[in-house]
Amino acid sequence: MARNNGNSSSKGGRRRPQRYKDVLHARGGHRAADFRCVACRLDVPLDAPGTAHRNHCPNCLASLHVDRKIPGDRDADCRGRMQALCMSVRGDGEWMIIHLCASCGELSANRIAGDDNPLALVRLALRPLADRGYAARALLALGRAEGEQEPDSGRTRVRAPRPG
Amino acid sequence: MSNRTTTSSRTSGSGLGTFACAWCRSTVPAHAADGAPRNHCPACLQSRHVLDHVEGGRSDCAGRMSPIAVAVHASGDWTVIHRCVRCDELTSNPVCADDNQLVLMRMAVRPLAQPPFPLEAFGAL
Repeated sequence: MARNNGNSSSKGGRRRPQRYKDVLHARGGHRAADFRCVACRLDVPLDAPGTAHRNHCPNCLASLHVDRKIPGDRDADCRGRMQALCMSVRGDGEWMIIHLCASCGELSANRIAGDDNPLALVRLALRPLADRGYAARALLALGRAEGEQEPDSGRTRVRAPRPG
Repeated sequence: MSNRTTTSSRTSGSGLGTFACAWCRSTVPAHAADGAPRNHCPACLQSRHVLDHVEGGRSDCAGRMSPIAVAVHASGDWTVIHRCVRCDELTSNPVCADDNQLVLMRMAVRPLAQPPFPLEAFGAL
């Protein structure tokens, strides 16, 4: 026999002791805070610029359903994948990603981080406007209404219903 | 998943009920012209937190729900994302045909009015 791998337990013989690992890659090791994105498999560090809680992948904006109400409480037992659904804006101008859980349909709003992919963010924000059907019709109708209102804006103001 | 908003429409149970909008106080029929149940005011798109989304039952909150975003699903239908001002619950409701297009498009273009980074760089891409 040219080579014995050491794991031949079927022979009931000797078993080579496993090599001592001084670097632990799993939980508690030197990259304990990292997580792997469920959608694009990117290895993401947990510390993000501009936010205390990293909760979505900076590359594909996907998230995991682990928190219930408070960010970081790890109270949900769904563990489903949360896809970025749309973009919302808070009152102070902060962009919020609305995530939709693919498993249970739960919605959550998360602040964007400083290293999120800008192209993915803008694509998400432009998704309603890129719709050829409804958005095009609505913008056309609004533009037409504004064009009608502009030449005689005084007359339309008179026609508007007044309180009292 | 219909947030019908008042007791009157819920007790009648038919398509003839109306409710008063929690924000602009206009009287709104509980069903749209095509028979779909209406859960937000068509003029200001505000809703009321009556139905719980996650548990699927009635909600005791009854807070006002303000529209925060417009979502386009993969099937192409539009939904309005509402957020309860009392308990921060998020719901998604389908858009009716007679909803205010100005409010809808204003929500859709609001991210582009306040971008977190300069959008000029995307012209070079």
